[in-house]
Amino acid sequence: MNVRESLLKELEALDRMPTLPASLIPLLRYMEQPDETLDLQQVIELISQDKSLAVQCLHMANSPLFGRSQTVESIRDAVVTLGLQRMRDIAASCSMLAILPSENAGMDPAILWEHSLGCALVCRQFARAIGFPDPAKAYLAGLLHDVGVVALLWILPTEFSEALELARSEHIPLHEAELRVPEITHAETGKLVAERWRLPAEMVSVVACHHDPRGATAYRDLVALTSLSDILCRMNGLGHGSVEDREVDFEEEPGFGILLQEHPQLRSFDWARFTFEMEDFMEEVHRLVSLMYHPS
Amino acid sequence: MTGTAAASAMGPASAPPNPALVKIRDVIYQVAGIFHPDNKHRLLEERCSKRMQVLGVASLRDYYDCLTFKATRQAELTALLNEITIGETCFFRNLPQLDAIRNVVLPKITAARAKSSPRHLRIWSAGCSTGEEPYTLSMALLEEQKKHLKDWTFEILATDLNERSLAHAQLGHYGTYSTRNVPEPFKQKYFLARDRELHVTAEVKANVNFQQVNLSDSTRMAFMKNVDITLCCNVLIYFDSVSKRRVIGHFYSNLLPHGYFFLGHAESLYGVSEDFRLVHLPGCTAYLKSAEKTVAPEKARPQ
Repeated sequence: MNVRESLLKELEALDRMPTLPASLIPLLRYMEQPDETLDLQQVIELISQDKSLAVQCLHMANSPLFGRSQTVESIRDAVVTLGLQRMRDIAASCSMLAILPSENAGMDPAILWEHSLGCALVCRQFARAIGFPDPAKAYLAGLLHDVGVVALLWILPTEFSEALELARSEHIPLHEAELRVPEITHAETGKLVAERWRLPAEMVSVVACHHDPRGATAYRDLVALTSLSDILCRMNGLGHGSVEDREVDFEEEPGFGILLQEHPQLRSFDWARFTFEMEDFMEEVHRLVSLMYHPS
Repeated sequence: MTGTAAASAMGPASAPPNPALVKIRDVIYQVAGIFHPDNKHRLLEERCSKRMQVLGVASLRDYYDCLTFKATRQAELTALLNEITIGETCFFRNLPQLDAIRNVVLPKITAARAKSSPRHLRIWSAGCSTGEEPYTLSMALLEEQKKHLKDWTFEILATDLNERSLAHAQLGHYGTYSTRNVPEPFKQKYFLARDRELHVTAEVKANVNFQQVNLSDSTRMAFMKNVDITLCCNVLIYFDSVSKRRVIGHFYSNLLPHGYFFLGHAESLYGVSEDFRLVHLPGCTAYLKSAEKTVAPEKARPQ
């Protein structure tokens, strides 16, 4: 049995790693409806089902940044204070936080979390911009695409932090560094975890193929969209704490060719403007993550 | 901080921007190619209010009319753009762009030209104003010469229309404000402190060649040849679409085949040039002169 096979075997037996909070996917799907059709009571109930999420919401709503003069004590007041859009991002972030190991080998989990939340926002915005039919699904794909990184943090923390260091010092993409050490990429580990968690088949495809969208046999649009959004994030300061010294022409990326088949308007897409608009996501993501992760 | 101020600083999730401001933002992008993301809206609003005070206009909605329908719209747009770009020039102004040039663009250019001679790089700072950009480039290239560009020489062409700016640039004396971003080692190495000012050293000046050039002068533009990298920041925003296309056409032909064209932060050539290829570099975008653009049509796969 070679190194990779034994790693994969170990990963299959991995039961230390927690699963995604059960309330996440229903909550995110529910909250993707237009604000005016959302039933506030329904949102409050979904949030209240997850104790850690409820606590985090109250904590955020009481932060001086969202400045209410009175203490926020109920989930209802928290939702009103924070706004529905931000609630969704907080719920997503709490879910990421719940599956990250508390002990980590030199990696600041906030970095992974920032990349995932940033990618979720970019995926959704990109989906809307090109008329992709299900922006909520795109958001979830962006949020979960790097779940294999979480698996690596659980199973091979030392080797994974070496990969991270390699990516940082040589300014190369993380999945390329992982091929050198631990010789298995987060796309491979992610596929196993996603299957183990019985995530929807489209999410398994995204997790497994976001660095090789041509290798996807199903849900190729969603995989391609996530792949392009992931690269956009990595090229614009929302990578894994490292800078990739390379040049990207989005129209030559494999994901572009795939998306173009169903979305011909992509041919005249204004990539420059979309990139400038990303500045907003970045600011929001940095603030949310630092507020939640380094509570003052 | 008040709740409202915090909410607007937090971006689009909580505070939808004023619709008139969004329309003004879109006009500026359409006409001048410079984009204000939502997190810069307050800044844009401040700049609009300055102009609104001058004009005695009460609302953004009315100011939008000044920029679009009134006969003086062209002059007003120029006045607003002046507010937008005012005081922007300083040393090391756009660090992601400078890093991308050092770490990605120069290695690519020198690799593409490895076999060519002479091993000489030409970088053009078009619209160099008072000289901060070309001197920054000169310092960065001097550093690179000690590392990756050992057997290369370089020159920075620095052009501007404004004679007074050029005179200031050639003198090379700067105050503390425009030198605030200069890293300390660069300050020690490439500046002389004199009478509360910083004077650029002769070594930095030696590689910079200042000239007065009007970008609209087609004859003059035709003589600017064999350029590896052109930087033209916050200049094209003042051109109408016809002259902008013409100037971009010149910039395109002045570049060598592997050449790069850089605009200012959040500036874009969308809808202006079909020749250049937009490329993403770490933290910034650039336009590449390259003939071999290939978008391979994706063959349908069985689902």
